[in-house]
Amino acid sequence: MQLFPCPFCGPRDETEFHYGGDAGNARPDGADVPVDRWTNYLYLRSNPKGAAREVWVHMNCGEFFVMERDTLTHKVLSSADLGGGHAA
Amino acid sequence: MRDLAEKWPIAPDWRSAAIEVTGLKIRPVSGLHQRLVSGDLGAWAEASGFDGTVVGAFGPAEGIRYSIRVARDRVLAVSTTPIGMATGWFAQGFAVTEISAGLQVFEVEGAALDAFIARATTLDPNQPSASAALSFAGISAFVYRHEGKLRIHVDRGLAGYLWTWMEKASGNISVGPSS
Repeated sequence: MQLFPCPFCGPRDETEFHYGGDAGNARPDGADVPVDRWTNYLYLRSNPKGAAREVWVHMNCGEFFVMERDTLTHKVLSSADLGGGHAA
Repeated sequence: MRDLAEKWPIAPDWRSAAIEVTGLKIRPVSGLHQRLVSGDLGAWAEASGFDGTVVGAFGPAEGIRYSIRVARDRVLAVSTTPIGMATGWFAQGFAVTEISAGLQVFEVEGAALDAFIARATTLDPNQPSASAALSFAGISAFVYRHEGKLRIHVDRGLAGYLWTWMEKASGNISVGPSS
């Protein structure tokens, strides 16, 4: 069992959270988006070995946030709400 | 035709249901007025006259009127007397939703309360948390203390499940660990 830090609630059980994808994978906007850009957005994932920046949501309070963690050691490096606040 | 309702136990009568084992007393709490408030919580407090006491997970609430923080921009206002404020959207920047019928409330007390909490959640009840919304017995619930007792608000549709869970858990706690 691992504790994840919700920027609002503080440390909570990992089962309270849901993975939301790579941080920074913004949805393309506009009518002239090339097909490879859509492909990149929809199908390509970073899947890094080591430090990763990911969007997560705390299901109980509804907080969406960016969590930096190490995919190798599972160590959480930081978590910050999408408005810019940091976990205590 | 097969009666599938037989697969589930009959829901308890919340007016008289109770669980009493050594070290634990659990009972439903009826008649609470509950309003979900979302948006500018400072504006809500000013407009509603609710006092500033807002509790998070396992936080101590007192009195007949209090607020439970359930998200960064959301509180559950609880009162034993009617909340004299309309529901809907307010120009000050918040929305009020009547949810008294949507949430069933339970109250737990007794010497074995810590053991009861330990079976329901991995959260440390002595460590403050801003939000009272947490996973409790596998479901989402609002959990805090009211005048020394543990109060749990759950979606009414899940109340029967939580009651069954509390019957089992309290039974196991009263028996103690197996050797």
